[in-house]
Amino acid sequence: MTFIEYAWLVPMIPLAAFLIIGFFGNRTPEGGGYIAIVGAVASFVLSLLIAIEVFGGSVATPYVMETPWLKISEDITLNFGIYIDNLAVLMMLFASFISSLIFIYSVGYMSHEGEKKRRYYAEVSLFLTAMLGLVMASNFLEMFIFWEIVGLCSYLLIGFWSFKHPEGDDASDAAASAAKKAFLVTRMGDVCLMAGLFVFLYAFQSLDYAVLFDYTVIQTVDPDMIALGSILLFGGVIGKSAQFPLHDWLPDAMAGPTTVSALIHAATMVKAGVYLVARAYPLFVQSMDVMLVVALIGGFTALFAATMALNNMNLKRVLAYSTLSQLGYMVMALGAGGYVMAHALHSGDVEAVGGYTAGTFHMMNHAFFKALLFLGAGSVIHAVGTEDMRKMGGLGKHMKVTSVTMLIASLSIAGIPLFSGFWSKDLVLEAALEPALEGAGIFWLLYIMGILTALMTAFYMFRLWFMTFRGEEGEASKHCHGESPRCMTVPLMVLAVFALFSGFFILAGFNDLLTFSFVGGAFVVGGHGHSAMYVLEHLALSPYTYLSIVVAVTGIYLAYRMYRVKDVDPGRFNANGESAPYKLLQKRYYFPQIYNAIAMKVTYPVALAVNYFDREAVDGVVNGIAGSITGGSQELRKVQNGLVQTYAAVVVGGVALIVVLLYLAGFLTGGL
Amino acid sequence: MIPISFFLVLSAVLFVIGAYGIMTKKNGLVVLMCIEMMLNAANINLVAFSAFLNDVSGQVFVLVAIAVAAAEVAVGIAILLNLYKTSNTTDVSEINILRW
Repeated sequence: MTFIEYAWLVPMIPLAAFLIIGFFGNRTPEGGGYIAIVGAVASFVLSLLIAIEVFGGSVATPYVMETPWLKISEDITLNFGIYIDNLAVLMMLFASFISSLIFIYSVGYMSHEGEKKRRYYAEVSLFLTAMLGLVMASNFLEMFIFWEIVGLCSYLLIGFWSFKHPEGDDASDAAASAAKKAFLVTRMGDVCLMAGLFVFLYAFQSLDYAVLFDYTVIQTVDPDMIALGSILLFGGVIGKSAQFPLHDWLPDAMAGPTTVSALIHAATMVKAGVYLVARAYPLFVQSMDVMLVVALIGGFTALFAATMALNNMNLKRVLAYSTLSQLGYMVMALGAGGYVMAHALHSGDVEAVGGYTAGTFHMMNHAFFKALLFLGAGSVIHAVGTEDMRKMGGLGKHMKVTSVTMLIASLSIAGIPLFSGFWSKDLVLEAALEPALEGAGIFWLLYIMGILTALMTAFYMFRLWFMTFRGEEGEASKHCHGESPRCMTVPLMVLAVFALFSGFFILAGFNDLLTFSFVGGAFVVGGHGHSAMYVLEHLALSPYTYLSIVVAVTGIYLAYRMYRVKDVDPGRFNANGESAPYKLLQKRYYFPQIYNAIAMKVTYPVALAVNYFDREAVDGVVNGIAGSITGGSQELRKVQNGLVQTYAAVVVGGVALIVVLLYLAGFLTGGL
Repeated sequence: MIPISFFLVLSAVLFVIGAYGIMTKKNGLVVLMCIEMMLNAANINLVAFSAFLNDVSGQVFVLVAIAVAAAEVAVGIAILLNLYKTSNTTDVSEINILRW
């Protein structure tokens, strides 16, 4: 027996938890919270057992198990099943692991929610189900279904407080509109994604990964169709992973409970987009232009989002911008790696590309430290009851565990050597550098963007940490009621261990497990990669590594001078918050207004026109047909006038007519 | 022997008179009588053919038809009686309660 045969159970267990909590949650303790935890932990354990088999090499990957689902025509059958390779296993592992920790944490964080806990735990279980289903799906259509369920769950959870917000009615309105915004903005991407699926279905006559990723099949298809499909697919990624220009829903999504933010940012939702790029890599690498677009969007998002985090006063918003920025890193790495691969694809075998490993590795590390940051922020918010960092300060004394774990996460995301973020961030920058050194000048720009982002990341993370945990006590800190309960601090500590050490996975096998190469005319996920020694040597000898370390330390030092020692007044650089760039950042580059303007000026008139067309043309035809039939019948029923003599006349006349016609027919055919 | 066509013509004449009466007469009773006339026109046909072809079954049919016609007239007259009681008329052109 192998565990992988039971892989379909991995999403089924949280689904069962969802159903049980949904129906009976309020009859169990904590509104079903323990059931959700058991479900998540069970799928983590099963994922772990599968991971041991897959990574151990006892199962051949990709492992595909599918059953026909829809038969569209003689040629096209859509399947439903699972497709497991190293990438899927990695996603299953960290999604279920981080979700388990977040669910445990929720028992403490959501303890005041009463009856609504049932809804919360049911929805997060469904969220996990959808994410696991998304990463295990065996074809694009199945993936798309789970992709949409993920979107639905994010909508429900972001709007969790839309009826009764702990901070009052304005906040609940904000939560409701944030939920709508998240749903509608990602929908824009999803429309592109669906269009991409149609293109692939048309070009390949199939949506199965096993068919689409087969190089012999790819060669028979028009490369322009693949490029078009890929770029449309990337539209979906832009929406889901909140890349520029569809990024603006993510900061608003902070209106949900902090645990939900952690779930969306670390384990599910936004990771789905990055996963999709990595999953569809064999299609994306068919075109250098597509990969260049991916890399540019990623790099620009990284820099663009980081700037907005620089002066934000809301604890969770800073983290949201940092997620945007880090997602940009991942997409940039995947794009740059794919560019290199696309360039070399037609000249034979391509060794494992650095960008793919860097992107997926950063995705995993980011999951750990971002979950930690959000849960830490949640712990702080739980203790002080506000999200405004100006009212915090000096919390380090009251909340030792939170402040230390947050420090670890901040060091990690800033890229201080040996912390997990250092390894993957450096790989990301290196991935951008690789095509630049080979002569693609535009990647120098991306590299510079990456370095600037690194500087800003270090700065704003430590600005956040110093403002929250050091300095004088703010007004909200004074009534802080100490450290959070054990069920909240233990997940923090577990995550801190991973934020510290998960970077070493790259030396202990990750470099072999998550690679993407083109060997012997086929794409291979998890083929042989660079050895650990090579990676280490490369990092240690490259001057660019030291540049990024210097940049990170500079950022931290700046934050230290401004927000800890306070001998450099940050107000000096922005005229005490009055300068135009400062306001521009505060207003998020006016993106909310741009969205609203587009909605009002473009979408609303289109909607009105569609509404008019629907009411007048579509409904008009239907109503016209119905009206003519009822009107005609109204007239026709007058024939039935109740006078028997009329009926008799009609009968006699009719018979006479038939007789005449029969005679006529007989006469004409010559029978008579 | 009288040729069969004589019977047929007689029957046709009776039938047409009956049909004309049904369509034109106002009195319900006369209409019923016209119906009887049409029935009997058909009966004459049957009996004529029965005698002509030496087949008794035609006469059997006629006897059944007469029995049915008697029952039908009984029902028809009962309806007419009730109509006269309720609406005080037997004029079929005024009775149109079974209409749209």
